[in-house]
Amino acid sequence: MILAFDALLALGLVWCAWRALSVRDLTHAVVQFVVFGLLLALAWARLAAPDIALAEAAIGAGLTGALLLDSLRASNAGAAPSPSGADIAVPTSNLAGAVRLAVWAAAVVVGAALLLAIATLPPPLIDLRAQVAGALGASGVSHAVTAVLLNFRGYDTLLEVVVLLLALLGLLACRGEHDPVATAADAPAEPLARALSRRATPVLTLTAVYVLWAGTTQPGGAFQAAALLAATAVLLHITRIVPAWERLGFARRLGAAAGVLLFLGIAAALLAEGALLRYPPAYAGSLILLIESGLTVSLALILAALFLCQTETQ
Amino acid sequence: MSTGLLYAAAGAMLFVLGATALILPLAPLRRVLGFNVMGSGAFLLLVGLAQRDGAADAVPQAMVLTGIVVSVAATALALAIIRRIAALERKAPADD
Amino acid sequence: MTDGLADPLAWLVLLPLFWAVLAFIAGPGRGAGLALAGMLAQTGWALHLAGTLLVGGPREHAVGGWAAPLGIALAVDGLSALMLLLVQAVALLVLLYARGYYPRGSADGAYFWPLAGCLVGGMNALLVSADLFNLYVGLELIGLSAVSLVAASGDVQPLRAALRYLFATLLGSGAYLLGVALIYASYGSVSLSTLTPLIEAQPPLSVQLAAALMLAGLLLKTALFPLHYWLPPAHGGAPAPVSALLSALVVKASFYLILRLGLGLYAPLMDAAAALLAVLGAGAILWGSWQAFRSIRLKMLIAYSTVAQLGYLFLIFPLLDRPDALQAGLLHTTAHALAKAGMFTAAGVVVKATGSDLINGLSGAASRLPLTLFALALAGMTLMGLPPSAGFLAKWLLLGAAIDAGQWPLVLIILAGGLLAAVYVFRVLRQAFMPAQREGAIVHVSRRMQWLAFVLAAASVALGLRAVEFVQLLGVGWQQ
Repeated sequence: MILAFDALLALGLVWCAWRALSVRDLTHAVVQFVVFGLLLALAWARLAAPDIALAEAAIGAGLTGALLLDSLRASNAGAAPSPSGADIAVPTSNLAGAVRLAVWAAAVVVGAALLLAIATLPPPLIDLRAQVAGALGASGVSHAVTAVLLNFRGYDTLLEVVVLLLALLGLLACRGEHDPVATAADAPAEPLARALSRRATPVLTLTAVYVLWAGTTQPGGAFQAAALLAATAVLLHITRIVPAWERLGFARRLGAAAGVLLFLGIAAALLAEGALLRYPPAYAGSLILLIESGLTVSLALILAALFLCQTETQ
Repeated sequence: MSTGLLYAAAGAMLFVLGATALILPLAPLRRVLGFNVMGSGAFLLLVGLAQRDGAADAVPQAMVLTGIVVSVAATALALAIIRRIAALERKAPADD
Repeated sequence: MTDGLADPLAWLVLLPLFWAVLAFIAGPGRGAGLALAGMLAQTGWALHLAGTLLVGGPREHAVGGWAAPLGIALAVDGLSALMLLLVQAVALLVLLYARGYYPRGSADGAYFWPLAGCLVGGMNALLVSADLFNLYVGLELIGLSAVSLVAASGDVQPLRAALRYLFATLLGSGAYLLGVALIYASYGSVSLSTLTPLIEAQPPLSVQLAAALMLAGLLLKTALFPLHYWLPPAHGGAPAPVSALLSALVVKASFYLILRLGLGLYAPLMDAAAALLAVLGAGAILWGSWQAFRSIRLKMLIAYSTVAQLGYLFLIFPLLDRPDALQAGLLHTTAHALAKAGMFTAAGVVVKATGSDLINGLSGAASRLPLTLFALALAGMTLMGLPPSAGFLAKWLLLGAAIDAGQWPLVLIILAGGLLAAVYVFRVLRQAFMPAQREGAIVHVSRRMQWLAFVLAAASVALGLRAVEFVQLLGVGWQQ
């Protein structure tokens, strides 16, 4: 019975994805994608992965969706009217059509091979769950996912936050320094929306801090908290309370990089314990919370900047 | 057929759909959607298969969290480049 | 075993990331001094690491103090140590060049330094990692840095090339990630040391599919023909220091990973793929050389030359049971990296001086930019495989292995490749030695930049004379 629900959800996922990728109108496609993201969050909850569900809803559906819609708005504003959605490449020659057929054929083959591989999986030889459970006590936190993310496989997290900073770097590098930045000279947003977002800000901020704190013992943590804070900033921007960031001043750069620097610094300092990121068992919990706090601030700034630093052209 | 296997199968199909959208010469924004769907498919496959016997496994879940952040980073970069190309073309319509 | 606070393995990853972040904080256009100081220190670490390897054998580092498979393991053997040395040395010289290429306070190159730091950090992280998922994160770090560096140019053409590159690299890492998911599902771990003994000759379908997916993804990132479509516009359209880093180092990182997986984890499965890789390699040599010859622009010629030269690396796969095949492959990787970096930096000098990228506009360059032309010629020597360059030594070793194995088609391709390279190299040199068409003004380019291009190119030739130490280092920790 529960399986029927899961089967429906899985089907819904594939259907939404198909629609997002095939619908002619791009705005419609992005909306479908956001719905896909929310269904995906449900699926993660069904898979006993509440941390991922939170992150997917906030980052995958929320922030990514907002970025996509904003990009659409920017490219539509002032663009020459083009047949919307006529992007499905019409084969101009038999060769192009044959290539498309070949790609679809390859896709079907790979898909079938994947399903077959799934059906014929051998039982796994190693079970890390037992090892995680055994080492959890010495990890400094009591939530398994946080322990893996910040302790056992913390090195992955270190590299990954650099990747996020890198995205900001790339964005800054390719945008024109010479383009005029639009002032918020358009019609002010609805007063109701502005009032609501003003009221919501302290609540969202508090929730983010709670999610960060709770991450040590329950689902939550730095990424989800940062996503919440960034979403707050985006909300304030959309309702014209916070203007776009034309330049990233020193304070914002420092804020965006500080968490990463802190993480790098702690990782290096812990080399004295014999290995990279080797927490002394007595201080593991505090160090992890320290790193997570720094990351929350920095990641929130980076995620917000990914949205607020887009140069607007009139 | 456990929950894990079911979602893993869905993940496999999502991966293939997304990858196809990324390969075919579609509009850039569409290919960004494709890349995101492809990533989500891979994540579902990773966790679904690891949890095919029903119990939650923290290691692949942490990997997926990492993957989601990497995905949003890549998406943001792609969109920035797409926007920049569009802005430059508006200034000086290219005839290619 | 680790050295505690002074462990070179850890610092080779941390240091570039440190100066990259500091350069970002310092602001647009700043960070050159930090970067160069960091690169110098890293080169020292890499030499130190190579030294300890020669004495003490391969090294490992369990991050967090957690042994694999629970934690992430780092490991360095002769192969990784060589690649680390190559990355630091070439990056150091190219960054020195870039300091002259990007005048202080200019808009181009505003973010070059932090991006370069992320790129070098990512490559170092990839080279020391022994964990499949950690390798994925490293691949993404490299890919996104490289794309950002290309996109930083600001013009429409490089931006389009960057977008194409981005989509290709994301497809590649996506396929790789799917492979990792299948491996974890089959064995319950992503640690190379734990997994390698578990895979035997007839693994289940999931493992074979994982291997195929990972290989396909990495081949796309290494731009092996016919998956090379993204490389020429990206490498040919980027600024010279970026092209140098991309052609010399970035494509080698994914090739290193193919080698690492093909020789270790997936060794029992490689026979099936070896023939295919060799055929595609041959295609790369032929197609790349032809397109290089047809190119109108200098940097596009050099970029297509990269496509062709990468083909050689894949010819070694059917021969991997012989030690000299691996030595040939590594020697070729190193020689090509030095030569290509030299060529791109020299091309950058030419473009800055004459204002034009067209090969036909090269007339008179020999008399006006003699040092730079000499650099191009030396680099060309390595590409063609003329003695005493390292390129010659690599081809010699490869020919020996191929003749030994009776693989006559390979012998033919290797010889043909040298001739084809000569065709496009001589095209450039011939044009440069023709008298100048008109008296265009030559912009003065700093002597330091010209000397750096020369040093890189000359190193590729000089390496041929010091190959003994090279082979010695490579042999450390090598399980056949």
